[in-house]
Amino acid sequence: MRTLEEVRATLEIAKLKEEDLQKTIHCLSFGDNVSSADYCLMELDDTLCKHIEAGQSLVIRGDKDERAVLCSGDNTYDLKIADTSNLLLFVPGCRTPDQLTNSQDSSHVAHTQIWGFCNSYWELRKHRPKLKKLKKILMENPYEGPAIRGQEENTENRVKYTMEDLLERIQASEEEIKTHLETIHACQIDGYWRVLDFDYEMKLLGHVTQLVDSESWSFNKVPLQNSLEELAPLEPKEMIEHCLNCYGKRYNENDKVFYALHEDKVCRGVALMLLQNAVKFNLREFQEVWQQSVPEGMSTRLDQLKSVALVDRTSRPETICLLRVEDLPEDTLERFNHLFTLREKWTEDDITPYIQDLCGEKQTTGALLTKYARSSMQNGIKVFNSRRPVAT
Amino acid sequence: MVQIVVRGSVDGSSPPEWLLVELQGEVITRHNSGLAGNVMGDLLYTKEGVPVLIVGHHILYGKQVKLEKPFAVLTKHSSHSQDSLGSHDNSVITQVPMETNQQGPTSTSYSVSALIKRKLIFKTRPKPIITNVPKKV
Repeated sequence: MRTLEEVRATLEIAKLKEEDLQKTIHCLSFGDNVSSADYCLMELDDTLCKHIEAGQSLVIRGDKDERAVLCSGDNTYDLKIADTSNLLLFVPGCRTPDQLTNSQDSSHVAHTQIWGFCNSYWELRKHRPKLKKLKKILMENPYEGPAIRGQEENTENRVKYTMEDLLERIQASEEEIKTHLETIHACQIDGYWRVLDFDYEMKLLGHVTQLVDSESWSFNKVPLQNSLEELAPLEPKEMIEHCLNCYGKRYNENDKVFYALHEDKVCRGVALMLLQNAVKFNLREFQEVWQQSVPEGMSTRLDQLKSVALVDRTSRPETICLLRVEDLPEDTLERFNHLFTLREKWTEDDITPYIQDLCGEKQTTGALLTKYARSSMQNGIKVFNSRRPVAT
Repeated sequence: MVQIVVRGSVDGSSPPEWLLVELQGEVITRHNSGLAGNVMGDLLYTKEGVPVLIVGHHILYGKQVKLEKPFAVLTKHSSHSQDSLGSHDNSVITQVPMETNQQGPTSTSYSVSALIKRKLIFKTRPKPIITNVPKKV
């Protein structure tokens, strides 16, 4: 171990004057077990830093074919290794000038160990979680309604997933998974998360809306108890309640539970049901049938169908077809290619609902369009097309 | 899918803060004997707080910088020593040499050993220390 005399000798050779220096001199040496493999560095953002300071844990999730991501309780980050040409040394015991007390009168040596070193670190980038897989795996075994009396539910042997199973398979945080389950109207049946078969979900919605009409209830005040009683002969109570939760907002009044049906969600559901049955519809005919099919008092509007249906105003007659953003590729470039294959030129209004979910933090759809598309003017309107030749 | 836990602290406390020293280039030992156990050099501060590093025959001037993005120092723990998971920078991520048979005994985990919020960075060209100055005749 170096002594103060040896250090002083070095200072003299280096032409440094002791009186110009602070009193503590750190003599750095490598620990006995030091190597680059024991430690690694991970860059943090403010949120994660606070997370770690609170002692919380994180999870790295990755499949063989997928890149690894880091998940906190409610966020997902892409993991990438960044190399630096510099050497990074970890010195736990080293003090900086503001931490030195300088109370001693004379210089002294502080023997400090370097515990590890590396020249690369993990970079994190907040990432929209990869949730498309969630609906895909749940759709392997959608819930079609209760088993017909006398028959076992014929899905006994098909895979069902609990939350733990989902966490094992989906590269996202638990919070993000829970939010998405709500979005896709999944529900827990016997402890397993299930999505409803679309026809079954529409059947449930149909029961509810028909009941509201026949009882002449305001769609803002649908009584839970009465609904369950009236519809019990047709469907399990849990399913009726689940339908009300998906399409309405629950509230209490005078100790009774009511639901305010959400006009936009109901109209959208009915539209989906109508659009499922054909490739394209005559727009005007569709709008008439659609308005007639929704509960009394609700108004249909085309903007309720943003990101689920596409209107073609250039064809004669004008048409509308089903196009759901959740059915489109998750990767940004693939998404744009797909959209441009469906239609050569898009207005910003038409394309925005189909690229909104691609935006990273602080990114706008405008920025995405600038990067992935080329703009031009057509009949005085700005339109976007592909940057590269795409077969239509 | 592989799930690897990065453990925080057992009691919810914040990990300790370490200092990072960043140097350009590599540090090699004179006799290529490996770094472990060897002295690296002396770190001093001028009265103005400028860090100075003397390594071998070189003197380097640096500065103290607050990191824009703090680092977490992760320590790897393998519960299985015979699996060669490779050095840390190609384990875990993408091209995974990891065993994915989840029930197997190879489970890797990480724990956060420390946080780094500041560093001393030495970017200037090291100046050689001349030990023998020829005397003027």
